[in-house]
Formats: sequence, C-alpha cells, structure tokens
Amino acid sequence: MVGDTAWQKVGRYALVAFVAMLILLPVYWMVNMSFKDKAEFVARPPTIVVQNPTTENYFDLLVTQRFYKYGINSLIVALIAASLSVAVGTLAAYALSRYRLPRNFNYHLLFTMLTIRMFPPIVTIIPIFVIFNQSLFGFKLLDTHIGLGLVEAFMELPFVIWMMIGFFRDIPRDMEEAGLMDGDSRFGVLRKIAIPLAAPGLAATFILVFIASWNEFLLALILTQTKAQTLPIAVAGQITQYDIKYGNMMAAGVITTIPVLVLALLAQRHLTRGLSAGGVTG
Amino acid sequence: MASEQASSRHDNALLKGAPWWERNLAWLLVAPTIVMFILFAAIPAITTFTYAFSRVKMARGGVQTNWIGFENFIRAFQDPLVVQSAWTTIKWMVVVTTVEIGLGLALALLMTGGIRGRGAITSLLIIPIILPPVAVSIAWLFMYDYEFGIFNYLLNEVGFPSVRWLSDPNSALYAMMVVDVWQATPFAFLLLYAALLSLPRDPYEAAAIDGAGRWHVFRTVTLPLLQPVLLVVILLRLIDAARIFDKIFIMTRGGPGSSAYTMTLTIYIEGFTKFDFGYASALSLLFQFSLIAAATFYVRRVLSDYAAPAE
Repeated sequence: MVGDTAWQKVGRYALVAFVAMLILLPVYWMVNMSFKDKAEFVARPPTIVVQNPTTENYFDLLVTQRFYKYGINSLIVALIAASLSVAVGTLAAYALSRYRLPRNFNYHLLFTMLTIRMFPPIVTIIPIFVIFNQSLFGFKLLDTHIGLGLVEAFMELPFVIWMMIGFFRDIPRDMEEAGLMDGDSRFGVLRKIAIPLAAPGLAATFILVFIASWNEFLLALILTQTKAQTLPIAVAGQITQYDIKYGNMMAAGVITTIPVLVLALLAQRHLTRGLSAGGVTG
Repeated sequence: MASEQASSRHDNALLKGAPWWERNLAWLLVAPTIVMFILFAAIPAITTFTYAFSRVKMARGGVQTNWIGFENFIRAFQDPLVVQSAWTTIKWMVVVTTVEIGLGLALALLMTGGIRGRGAITSLLIIPIILPPVAVSIAWLFMYDYEFGIFNYLLNEVGFPSVRWLSDPNSALYAMMVVDVWQATPFAFLLLYAALLSLPRDPYEAAAIDGAGRWHVFRTVTLPLLQPVLLVVILLRLIDAARIFDKIFIMTRGGPGSSAYTMTLTIYIEGFTKFDFGYASALSLLFQFSLIAAATFYVRRVLSDYAAPAE
C-alpha cells in the first residue's frame, strides 16, 4: 500500500518468508529424515541436513516389504476412478451446458449431484460395503481395484461435472453452430469440436481426480483388504503405537507424495480453479 | 439474447428425420450420471435408512435384517461416546475453520500489500493442500514424537520438559488440529487472495481521500466487499472439517483412548470394527441430517450461477 515505511516493507517480507518456511519445514523434514540411517535418525541434536545419506529406508520399504505392489494398486484404482468419472462427468457437463432438458431437469440434476458432494462418504458406505461383499455373477467387488475405482469415480463425479461445465462455457459456441450448419450430427459436434477444444480442461480435471483418488483414505480403508490395498492404507497400517519403523515411514511418505507433486506441476495452470471447485481437499 | 437464439438453434437444428439417439442426445449424455447416482447414492441411501431401523447381522451371501423401530436412535442419544464425538466434531469444525480462515485472510491481506515473487509464493502454498493426508500425518507424527521429535528437542533446548503431544488426551486433539491448519490454511488463503485481487479499486481511493485508517478501511470497505467469497470459503471449510477422519485415524486411531473420536470415526468403529451396521447406519443418518441444513444453504448459494445454461 501507499505510504509504507521501509521498515514495514522489511517486516512484511520477513513475515512472508517465515510463512513460507513454516509451509516447507514438515515436508523438508520428512525428506531429510527419509535418507538417514538408523544411528543418525535418533541422533541428538538432529542433523539439519542428512550427513550420511542412505537409500536403505527406501530399499527396505519397496523391496523387502514389497510396498511397490500397493503403489501399483493405488495407480490402477486412480486410473480407473479418473477415466470413468471424467468420461461420465464430461458427457453430463456437455448436456447441462448446451441443452435444456424438460421440467428444469438441468437444475435438479446439478443440485442433486452437488448436494452429494456435501455429504460425508461414511453415510453411504455401509450398504455399498454389504453389496460389494456379496457375490454378483460369481464375482465380489470387495477388495478389487474396479470396486474401489467405481465408488471413487462416483464420489468425484460432481467435481468433474462442475469443472467441465466451466470449461465448456469458456468455449465459444460459434464453432459448434458452424459444425451443425455443415450437417454434422449433434454427437459429431461434441466429439469433433467441443471435446478437442476442451481438451486442456479435460486433462487438468483428469489429473485432479487422479490426485484425489490417490490421496483418498476412508473408502480405500473400508473397501480394500489385501489384494487391492492402496498405498495410503498400507502405509497407515505400519503405524502401531509401540514399534514404528520411522525411517521406512518417512520414505513411504516421500514415495506417496512424489506422484502428486509431479501431477500438480503438470496441471498447475488449472490448479487454483480446481481447488476452488472443491477438488482434492479432505 | 444472441446466445439464447443460438441455444435454441443448437437444440433444434436439423432434427427432423434424425435417428432417435440424435434426438435424445441430451438424455443419453446424462444417462450414465443418473445410473451411477442410482447405484451409488440412491440405493445406498434407501438401504441405510432401512438398516437404521433394523438389527443387521452378517449372514451368508449378505446380511439379515430385523426391524426394531427406533431402538438404534434411542441408543444413540444415550451413548456417551456419540455425544462426546458429536461435540468433538463441532469443536474441530469451529476451531479449525476459524483459525484457517483467520490466518488465510491475514496472509492474503499481507500479500496484497505489494510483494515481489507472488507467483512463487502462491505455488509454494499450493503444496500442502494437495499432499496425501497420509504423508502429512506421518511427517507430523514424527515431529510430535516424544523421544525423537523435533518439537520436544526444541523445547528441551530452551529448558522446558518434553510434552506428550499425541498421547495426552488434553493435547492430542489440538495437536492434530495444528496439522489440519497447516494443510488447509493455504486453501483459505488462495481463495481469499484471488478474491481480494479482484476487488474494485474505487472504494479504496475514496477511503484514502477521506483519510481513513487501515483498520477502518478493512472494516468498512474490504470486509463487506469480501463477504460473499468469505461465506463460501467458510462453508467449504466447515463441510470438509465435518468429515475429518484420515489424519485422526492415522495419527492416533482416535486416541488416546477414544478422546479424539469424531462422528466419522465413531461410525467407522461401530460399522467396521464392531460390524454393527444397524447402529452405524442410524448414527450416519443422524450425522447426515444435522449437516443437511448447512449443505443446502451452501449449494443454493453457489448454484444460482449455474442452474441453467447461460442466458
């Protein structure tokens, strides 16, 4: 603001730097600790920068404890959830932003989907668990990638619809009108004009749903047991009150984080929009 | 007006003699969403309702339900654990939201004061929001550790005794609130900061001419202008805070003892460690209905923009 003294400016920068440090500290500390061997891990005073970096924690976790398979489970579930919810949600979003369904159905559908977003997942999970635990056509959905992926896809569906309505609204309609005039079918216009134009938004939404599914805890805890257990559940399962392998845990934290950071970097431009639409959090 | 004409052309263009799927394209496009809604929301919701009035037993190939009326609900109101976890949830929602919004707003105001490298700081602040809760919990769990944690080390250095951050019922909940504040304050900040940047300049210039002080400007200009966004951010945070589960479950399993049980944790314990589906369903219905008022308010507010195709 106008009229700030030099001291006020310095104070402001100092405060912002302090906040930045607070944000980074826990992350830095986790990375730092994950490379320490057992002796250095418990050293007093703790070493601010790791002195004898070792990858033994990572090796122990991934190879000896075979955590890579939980990583693969998480990857499969997140891919299923993101593909399905983006496919289903994009179609609905297109219909809602371009067509007017009778009886104010646009409003009712959107209202219903967004209301769902507000409810804690614990509320519907008991019947879903019971249904998944039954044999349907000789196949149980409990503890399968597809089962968890389906439920997570549905949970993210309102978010996808919300995001994609926004992206479709940003696309000028003229091009679609021109397509119709040229004799394209309405579905042809959607496939050949609208979807390609919305592709960046589509990719960003896909990434955000992937991250949300990768991070998701409660549903994965309830709907998977051994075969399809995801990384967060496996990691949390290692925490017992008396004997925590902290080194491994730190490595697990870093491994769980890396894909999220890489993806966030890719979707950076759309991240704020996605976050304000209520994606990813919680 | 122009776009409305366009819209009706879009709706009706060349549909005579078109195949049925072309004429009903809009319905076909929303059909998968409706199917998923029926499978994963409508049917489970109805089932939860029937479970809530039943004694539910696991049986071969599913469950066996016996109607018992309001028994589960009567039990819920008499269950001290439920009352306690309801209070814990409310406490969590209020404290966490207040602190996060307060800090986020303060930081946003600070940044609008003109700071170089805003972009870098904003990118930095996004990191905590997207981190997996399990990674965040682990990082903090170790910093809180009684023997090896950095907090106790620093306390000892300045001459204080170690604190049992997570194993003392008096501090565990608050220690975990700090973790949530760490992760979600940047969320509040980002939304409020974006809103602050888009505020009109004129009222500020008028206030400057009047010679108004900073606090006065904040109260009479900034706060009223910011109010709509502020309300939305508060509600978003409240809704997220209401469902808190992962951090508490990972860090202390709701402990020590049951001191940090929130509603979701209690329902999880009743449903999936005791497998009392009837009781857990009744609890989740009570939980859901007490959240409905806030949810409806929020949705109506935000939805007004998006209710129908743009006019």
